[in-house]
Amino acid sequence: MTYKVIGKRVKRVEDPRLLTGQALFVGDVSLPGMLYAAFFRSDYAHAKVISIDISQALEIPGVVGVYTAEDMGDDWEPGPPLVSPPPTLENVVFNSRRQVPLVKGKVKHAGEIIAVVIAESRYIAEDAAEEILVEFEPLPAVVDLEKCLEPGSVLVHDDLDTNLAAHLIQNKGDYEGARKEADLVISRRFHLDRGAAAALENRGIVADWDEKNQHLTVWDATQSPIPIRNGLAARLGLRTHQVRVVAPFVGGGFGPKIMMFYAEEMVLPWISMKLGKPIKWIEDRRENFYATTQEREQIHDVEMALSKEGHILGIKQKFIHDTGAFNPYGLTTPLNTQSHSMGGYDVQNYYSDLTVVFTNKTIVTPVRGAGRPQGIYIVERMLDIAARELELDPMEVRRLNFIPPDAFPYDHEIIDQAFATLIFDSGNYEPAFDKALEMLGYEDFIKNEQPRLRAEGKYVGIGIVPFVETTGVGPYEGARVSVEPSGKISAATGVGTQGQSHMTAFAQVIAEQLGVEVSDVSMVTGDTAEFHWGTGTFASRGAVVAGNAVNAAAGDVRLKVLKLASKILETPEEELVLEDGMVRVADKPDQSISLGELALLANPLRGAVEPGTEPGLESTKYFGPAFGATAFGVHGMILEVDPETMMINIRKYITVEDCGTMINPLVVEGQIHGGVSMGIGNAYYEKLHYDENAQLLNASLADYLIPGSTEMPHIEVHHANTPAPNNELGTKGVGEAGAIPVPAVFAQALENALHDYDLEILETPLSPNRLYELLQEKEDNS
Amino acid sequence: MKVEGEHIFKGTQKQVWDLFRDTEVMATALPGTEKMEAVGENVYEAVMNVRVGPVAGKFSGNLVISNENFPETYTMTVDGRGKPGFLKGVGDVILSDQGDGSTLMKYTGEVQIGGKLAGVGQRLIDTVSKSIINQAFDILDQNLVERTAAEAEGREAEYQGASEKDYAATVAKDLVGGVLSAPWVKKLKGK
Repeated sequence: MTYKVIGKRVKRVEDPRLLTGQALFVGDVSLPGMLYAAFFRSDYAHAKVISIDISQALEIPGVVGVYTAEDMGDDWEPGPPLVSPPPTLENVVFNSRRQVPLVKGKVKHAGEIIAVVIAESRYIAEDAAEEILVEFEPLPAVVDLEKCLEPGSVLVHDDLDTNLAAHLIQNKGDYEGARKEADLVISRRFHLDRGAAAALENRGIVADWDEKNQHLTVWDATQSPIPIRNGLAARLGLRTHQVRVVAPFVGGGFGPKIMMFYAEEMVLPWISMKLGKPIKWIEDRRENFYATTQEREQIHDVEMALSKEGHILGIKQKFIHDTGAFNPYGLTTPLNTQSHSMGGYDVQNYYSDLTVVFTNKTIVTPVRGAGRPQGIYIVERMLDIAARELELDPMEVRRLNFIPPDAFPYDHEIIDQAFATLIFDSGNYEPAFDKALEMLGYEDFIKNEQPRLRAEGKYVGIGIVPFVETTGVGPYEGARVSVEPSGKISAATGVGTQGQSHMTAFAQVIAEQLGVEVSDVSMVTGDTAEFHWGTGTFASRGAVVAGNAVNAAAGDVRLKVLKLASKILETPEEELVLEDGMVRVADKPDQSISLGELALLANPLRGAVEPGTEPGLESTKYFGPAFGATAFGVHGMILEVDPETMMINIRKYITVEDCGTMINPLVVEGQIHGGVSMGIGNAYYEKLHYDENAQLLNASLADYLIPGSTEMPHIEVHHANTPAPNNELGTKGVGEAGAIPVPAVFAQALENALHDYDLEILETPLSPNRLYELLQEKEDNS
Repeated sequence: MKVEGEHIFKGTQKQVWDLFRDTEVMATALPGTEKMEAVGENVYEAVMNVRVGPVAGKFSGNLVISNENFPETYTMTVDGRGKPGFLKGVGDVILSDQGDGSTLMKYTGEVQIGGKLAGVGQRLIDTVSKSIINQAFDILDQNLVERTAAEAEGREAEYQGASEKDYAATVAKDLVGGVLSAPWVKKLKGK
């Protein structure tokens, strides 16, 4: 299908507002009489609360109130379970324990809230919070993923007799049988550790209860305004129409901002209703390190059985996933790990044993990639190791195992995070992989350049990793599109925007259908007053699920436009064209009518609207896919390691992305750039260091290193296109893709660069320090 | 976090033991100590201002002495909390006679830190705690001399306290020293 607007590099329509500081963020919301909140959080990761003394805090002038769990009475309740385990899986153990608004009895991770101070200014509120006296009885902390399962371990939740949060097994084929046939069986243990999402904008909330209107408005830097609205109404005893949740511009989400309810999200609206006043809180960076969800800690024991030619005969995996102190997000993240531990390969026998544990660490929910980087890391590491042991070209081993293009849709026979069978809808992996090798100059590098640079004493290495990403899962999203009497288009969808360029991309889809300029479309996202059905922005699904809903609604408006215009212009619909905001008769350009005139005629002030029709040129449509759209990509890089400092220089970075139809390549490239930058952080800079008491030792951006512009390479992006067969636009998600393969690419490239040392990397994140230690350990052992 | 170290005091085991068990001496020796007083048999309450890089604030807590085996060993347990976080530690002190009138003091212990002290101050705490201890030793050396002299002269001892300025200078020196002694710097300098 040829498009006029879809697929064009349209500049972002939201940028002028963002770049000139005119865009509304929660921090910009200021209301008359607004009060401010500050929290007293526990420094201890695990401790009994013996007593709380708020008397001194209350005496500070300007303090309006101090609230603890006791004040909430019957309104005190743990957050709702967001995601249950897949109902179709058998023998699942799942112990649901959810976060609480204010601590009652026992602190389960550092940063949990004991009390909240409401005051006339943030300064006063912060000062008063420091005057709260809490007597704690510190308890030993649960930290280690394996020790916590030993008998007699300290328990995170006293009402459970275990720290086991979940256990399940997924099985495909017959791994043990395959193992008997194998020429080579390799087994390795992998450690994957935690990082922060570290969005530029921290979380923020303004809650405003209007007593006279009996209406609550909440501005919330969230990825999921509609579920927050629904949940708040239920918790606060209100009708849903009494609650409006607005997620205005949000400065980065990356997953943690979809974790409803954060304690603050529940407590502030509750207090606003008590006081009848607006209350504001913007999370500071240190709070963010303790109170905003994190991800990626897992320990894997993996076995891979192969033929001597390099065919994967089967994979067996036993892994432990750390969910932190609570598990509101169910099994989404580790199920994603299971779904991606076979990569894009034709693996007939797979046995995966998953254990999830509670620890006294910050809650774990998806962070960009959401379990996928771990899966890709282990399968790609295993293939590198297998190729070495079999003395085969690692790239050839990958080519040998790719799911062939005629095998799609490819049924993986296990259950994925969306509770559907894991089916890869489409793909064409080998050409994209070959393209990546060509872009990176793989053969020339190995044959000529690397030997030449090594002779000069340089430690240069190459890494290339293919990956899959399941994207665009259900349940559904919706959109409303209407033609205004001015001829301009207004549209709204439920998903919120945290930098994904929805206002541009969705406008392109509408412009394509209705023959208007992109700038004539005004798109509202993330405001429940504008659109109140939907789930949110997650799982790389905006362009797929909301995009196709927008397309369906705009397509329906197009039909209404054609029907009315056909009547007025007395011309059959098939002879009409929509362009430049007009409907024209194809071969008679002077016979036309504008969309604005049609909109007025469709909404008459007198006369009668025909029975069975609706007024206006407006439509609301929904899209819900049965299963997701599987994207594919390849990342490659050439890096140089400084053997003294272990600092790296990325000499070249290339990606090939196949996200099906691109609505806007500029936006896709932006997503990849951002993803790669996050991936580089995950691979070589960002790691949250918890000590044996579950104390975070690098809770500031001085110690927790995020790659800056100096660490970012130039990224060459190539687009492949295998359209998704199960949605009309053919789109696949790409929001998380950039981050997924990077740690695996790093590991491969570092091993290759340091080939003298015969290093085997089995962990991530690395860092210059850690790499130095690994090399020292290697030296000490030899 | 493990802490350990040693120091030679120019005095007998008994003199050093008495020195360490004199709250007035200890209060003057530890920089930032606002208050240290006995509240029971071998139980002391202390208030101390601590500054670790960007983390500063007042700690208050208990110090308990146990397992006393005069004049050789005892165990010290500290438990403090304040706005910058918390600190909890157990350590053993061993005094051994060197045979030349001097006493070797060895200490080993485990310290837990939490809150801002851990989250923001962790990078500096190792050096800062060493600085505090080293400076304390310097002052204790001087105070031991003063104490011994005063005893001999039958007068009241006048102890010299730690100044904030000296403390800051010690921390700065130790931080720079820590960087310069890192293996990779040594390697670079060797080139």
